[in-house]
Amino acid sequence: MVEVKLENIVKTFGETVALKGIDLHIKHGELFTLLGPSGCGKSTTLRIIAGLDFPDSGQLHFDDEDVTYKSSSERGAVLVFQNYALWPHMTVYDNVAYGLKVKKLPKQEIEKKVKWALELVKLQGYEDRYPTQLSGGQQQRVAIARALVVEPKLLLLDEPLSNLDAKLRLEMRSEIRRIQRELGITVIYVTHDQEEAMAISDRVAVMNIGQIEQVGTPKEIYEQPKTEFVAAFMGKTNVIPAEVVERDGDKVTVEFEGLRLDGLTYTGENDKVVVVIRPERISLHPIENAVSITGKVDLIEYYGFFIEVVGLFGERRIIARTINDRDVIGLRPQGGVTFYIEREDILVLPKTL
Amino acid sequence: MKVNKWTERFFGTPLFEPLVTFSYIFPLLYLMIFLIVPVLSMLLIAFTYDGNISLHWFKSILMDSYYLQVPPHGDFAQKLTTSTGESLYLIRGIDFGVVLNSLVVAGLVTLFTAILGTVFAFVIARYNFKGKNLFRIALFIPLLVTPFVNAYVIKQMFSEFGLINYIFHEILHVLPFRIKIDGLTGVVLAQSMAYYPIVYLNAYASFINIDPTLEEQAENLGSKGFRLFRTVTFPLALPGIAAGATLVFIFSLEDLAAPIVFHGDPLAKKLMSYQIFSKFIYGLGERSPEIAALSIIMLILAVIAFLGIRKYVSLRQYAMLSKGGRWKPRISKPKPWQALLIYLTLLPVLLLTIFPQIGVIMLAFSERWTTTVLPQGFTIDYIKEMLLNPDVRRFIVNSLSYSGAAVILIILLSITSSYATSRFKGILSPILESMVILPIAVPGIVVAMGYFYFFSAVTPENSPLNPTSLYGFNPALVLILAYSIRRLPFAARSVYAGLQQVHISLEESSINLGASRWKTVTGILMPLISLNVFGGAMLSFVYSMSETSVGITLGSINMDQAPITAFMKEVLMSAAGSINIAAALGVLLIVVQITAIVVVNIITKQRYSFIGLT
Repeated sequence: MVEVKLENIVKTFGETVALKGIDLHIKHGELFTLLGPSGCGKSTTLRIIAGLDFPDSGQLHFDDEDVTYKSSSERGAVLVFQNYALWPHMTVYDNVAYGLKVKKLPKQEIEKKVKWALELVKLQGYEDRYPTQLSGGQQQRVAIARALVVEPKLLLLDEPLSNLDAKLRLEMRSEIRRIQRELGITVIYVTHDQEEAMAISDRVAVMNIGQIEQVGTPKEIYEQPKTEFVAAFMGKTNVIPAEVVERDGDKVTVEFEGLRLDGLTYTGENDKVVVVIRPERISLHPIENAVSITGKVDLIEYYGFFIEVVGLFGERRIIARTINDRDVIGLRPQGGVTFYIEREDILVLPKTL
Repeated sequence: MKVNKWTERFFGTPLFEPLVTFSYIFPLLYLMIFLIVPVLSMLLIAFTYDGNISLHWFKSILMDSYYLQVPPHGDFAQKLTTSTGESLYLIRGIDFGVVLNSLVVAGLVTLFTAILGTVFAFVIARYNFKGKNLFRIALFIPLLVTPFVNAYVIKQMFSEFGLINYIFHEILHVLPFRIKIDGLTGVVLAQSMAYYPIVYLNAYASFINIDPTLEEQAENLGSKGFRLFRTVTFPLALPGIAAGATLVFIFSLEDLAAPIVFHGDPLAKKLMSYQIFSKFIYGLGERSPEIAALSIIMLILAVIAFLGIRKYVSLRQYAMLSKGGRWKPRISKPKPWQALLIYLTLLPVLLLTIFPQIGVIMLAFSERWTTTVLPQGFTIDYIKEMLLNPDVRRFIVNSLSYSGAAVILIILLSITSSYATSRFKGILSPILESMVILPIAVPGIVVAMGYFYFFSAVTPENSPLNPTSLYGFNPALVLILAYSIRRLPFAARSVYAGLQQVHISLEESSINLGASRWKTVTGILMPLISLNVFGGAMLSFVYSMSETSVGITLGSINMDQAPITAFMKEVLMSAAGSINIAAALGVLLIVVQITAIVVVNIITKQRYSFIGLT
């Protein structure tokens, strides 16, 4: 178990700046996720922690040790690659045993540990197979066993589920969580899938173009995004450009498409803002003291366990989501509709994108 | 129309389609008649004794100590004294008998080229050092084929007053005595120097195709240095290295040029390829069962190597496992001591191995080369003679026309066969696929003997097509056929690769929009693969020009219609002309090859691809 500290990590590849000064503090035994769109620098950050790339400047500490320029082979931060990187010329046993053989452990101990690791990932009996003879999910488990068997201080997972089908993805997700809890190791997890990040992580860092946008628990990130980017990235949501038209201390009134929402909290200076409203926080029933906006129904989309009503307010589309299909009785395209939203569910953020 | 079970089974098309059927049948029949049948026709002769089926000829070969000498005979090196009174070590090798000699020579050449090729490939694939691009270009030079003269220069380099003694004995004093390399050792040396870039090219492709994450993972788990190379990098590159090495093994086995150049030493004659060749030349007109049996033994050895490597490589299709991820090539700057090692070891080897081609050029422009280190006296007389003397020019014209005609056949064969095997999965597909690549495994001298037996049996006696004809045999047809078979794999691979780049949906949408199969192939497919066809055709043409085995046997029966290589061999073996004129022809071949490579590079924007086995 180890604590990881990144201080002002900068990395450029030729002309492009991949990381513009990353600061992170990952605690003992935490499952920490780097979340962001492709090209945001999350994999580069992970490779720097693994010792496969080295930063141009900045420092990386494992506990109190400066490991910034320590070679990957001596670092004990084991990476599970996105493509699993299983050696095709070795059996499952030899793949898993590799790291132990490198450490020159006695043969019996290697056998014992490999057995333990394969049991942990539920692959006992597959020792003599070659990677090509395994399914995607099984290959993934071998990769995890191979990493865990060396008892790493730190386990790094680079998009570990991206090559699996949807059903397997859910299964492996809880499996990874189970193993992490069982062993109590520090895990850094990289993904571009916000749902996966929220389900699995203790804390999440949302990254965009080489910078950290926000760090927090999944709940904080989802409910209190600090930036427009985080708000837009965390699931389907309404991000409505608007303008502050009145201010009274922290309370503001904003306007878009001729509609006014008053009594909202905003501390930013810029008058160009975005209003962020989660679709599931919009009600189709009247709520007391809530703000309301009236427009036309554009579309009603049926998703099975929920229904979305897309309302048209001037030129602006706003999505409301309900799990109760009785809510949409009486609504029809081009007919009128009113959305009700509690003020505390409306977030006003400076417009930055 | 009804689904046709037969066409589906054999050709992989549910409906009968004439064009698809032709694409299968034409190359299959062609290869059957002009490769399989001639070679098999030798079996009849080799297995017949006194009118009965018998192993007599094989037994008589394998029981004869001339062919199998165990324990071996002779001293590896002998100490002599030069005319100037210095001590001289003559290194010729030892005699295991003809059959084993061939195996030992091919085995050693394979080993040396595998080591050299792998080292060069690894260094060039993984390190960025000053002059790397020059290294890469220089590594192509030994591949420039100049039959006979190239080996002749190597012989001169390693003669008692040659370049090697000059540098290492006279200047650097690291050799306390002079050396002279001859006999089987000379053959091993000449072949190793010429063939190691074949392993290099295959190994290089393997090294750069290894998914870097596989090595990063090993490093991440604590592995580094030689352990990383031994446990991960090398095993992953091994299929490519082995494929290149096998190719070298076959090339060495069938090579005639080096044994002919070193044939002044009787030991160099004790190789299977030379034995078949010389018995053919001196016993012309006879269908000797002994030659047939020896040819069969040689064929079996080559085919075993060929099938072995195909099987081995097909078991190790590693590339399939990787599923994307980042691709960050593992190239680093060498540490100072590593750089020093590269310049002190690899650079001298490289210079040594490109010298033969340089020597050929010098020889072509010089008056004589006797006991001096380098050729003496600049002249362009031989270049002039080559271009102006009708007695020499004739051979060039012959080679050009035979190669040109062969290329037309090759284009047709490679397009049809590649189309059939890449698009349709009938049970004939894998058979055709193997047959198209099979010519690599059939030694040229075996093809020559097969054709000799075949054509002397099936053509009318004393007709110009019959090699035993008393009224003049015309080798044109036989040579064109032989070239088209022997050089087919070059073009077929290129065309096949091109077809694999074209997604089948492009053709399907054409057919779906109402175009016929013919219209689809000519209108959609052909334009898309034209560059691959062109590249393959150029390669086939170039290597037809320098074809040796068939050219110097069947091709030299009638010197009026003989190709370049037959003339070059005459010059070397019988001193019929000056060696310099052969060198001039070597220069011509170098020019043709470089032009082809450059043109292919510019037009197809592809790197020059040498033939591989898989």
